[in-house]
Amino acid sequence: MSFNQITAALFEGFFQNCELFALTLLFAIPLGLIVAFGSMTKIKPIKYIVRAIVWIIRGTPLMLQLFVVFYVPGLLFDKPMKSRMLAAVIAFVINYACYFSEIYRGGIESIPKGQYEAGHVLGMNRKQIFFKVILLQVVKRIVPPMSNEIITLVKDTSLARIIAVAEILMAAERFAGRGLIWPLFYTGIYFLIFNGVLTVLFGRVEKKLDYFRS
Amino acid sequence: MSVLEVKNIKKSFGKTEVLKNISFSLEKGEVLSIIGSSGSGKTTLLRCLNFLEFAEEGIITVNSEKIYDGKLNKKMKESEIRTKRLHFGLVFQNFNLFPQYTVLKNIMLAPSLLKIASEKEIEENAKKLIERVGLNDKTDSYPCELSGGQQQRVAIARALALNPDILCFDEPTSALDPELTGEVLKVIKGLKTGDSTMIVVTHEMGFAREVSDKVIFMADGIIEEEGTPEQVFGNPKSEKMKAFLSKSFENI
Repeated sequence: MSFNQITAALFEGFFQNCELFALTLLFAIPLGLIVAFGSMTKIKPIKYIVRAIVWIIRGTPLMLQLFVVFYVPGLLFDKPMKSRMLAAVIAFVINYACYFSEIYRGGIESIPKGQYEAGHVLGMNRKQIFFKVILLQVVKRIVPPMSNEIITLVKDTSLARIIAVAEILMAAERFAGRGLIWPLFYTGIYFLIFNGVLTVLFGRVEKKLDYFRS
Repeated sequence: MSVLEVKNIKKSFGKTEVLKNISFSLEKGEVLSIIGSSGSGKTTLLRCLNFLEFAEEGIITVNSEKIYDGKLNKKMKESEIRTKRLHFGLVFQNFNLFPQYTVLKNIMLAPSLLKIASEKEIEENAKKLIERVGLNDKTDSYPCELSGGQQQRVAIARALALNPDILCFDEPTSALDPELTGEVLKVIKGLKTGDSTMIVVTHEMGFAREVSDKVIFMADGIIEEEGTPEQVFGNPKSEKMKAFLSKSFENI
């Protein structure tokens, strides 16, 4: 097989990684906010339940969670997961939503009380204060830790290999099985380029939010 | 008729009684200075007026309308609190401007959200206020580009934009160096001619003496002495006030 053919075959695999990456971000970013509110709520039962879930998800390997999501529906409820990709997306969304929620929580709690008080004194309601005053300041503060987490996500997508999602590492392993080992190492380039683009992008976002200091 | 009447306000944090039975009243257009050492309850009193804290007991009346009763405060809805607190404005010690907005937007934000007038009127009014605090050339600056004194002047304009009946200042110059203190005090003094009713918690004795119509000296959660500046500064009756004054004007 030629170099070009292998590059194309790996691209096909990497497309799965990209799909998993995009879907995880799409759902985990908003879900994380809900989880963050849950872990900060004054309603104690909800707070403790949410914090326990976050503890379980952050305290166990993502690989194990992939197994659980993929196999448990079939074992317990006799409803086997039909799509490997769907199982991977569910496991990733839950896992990353929990990590994001902790980043959000840290960001929200780091905003000085005075910002809320200024909003209250000016007659704004809680929703207005959060969306008009607090949110953008939180976004500014969480861009660096979020970019860190998102870059980790790019690399984590290859864990989906464990439930046989045909992502790039699995594609490369097929060549290795036929005695061609270098494609396996070559996959690193895909991740490097993707993360390089992301790094530049996050740098731009940070710069864009540079116009104010909080 | 008094614009503000405060009766028997009591407030504790846990076992610490911070305000023990505070009562006073204020006429329209008057400036009241509240002085006293740290921990005497001055700031808590202001925060109770602005509903950032809720007094356990006491009654607050504005323009003969009872807006707060400590016995009933648990029944107050959030929307009710929001409308009622608009009788008061508050300028904070550390400004608390919204960092992501320009000076103009900081002043316009709350009036726009509350829709108190048309967007155009709100903007015109905001620009007038910016002129009044002397920051015409800073309309489109962000708070981080301003000095502390300028930030505090924006905060004053922001509070005025909602036309409060009574404007409160919580140690407005304590976070500023002496050079910048003057410009802020000058703005506050300028408001006096504008018929604003004001309560100023301050450590600036000279300011309190010169600008206020009434001075309250607080110590350990009670009003230890009150009267005109001449009475309180010139002829204090309480021992604590005498001690406080001699310390305040002590040459180091």
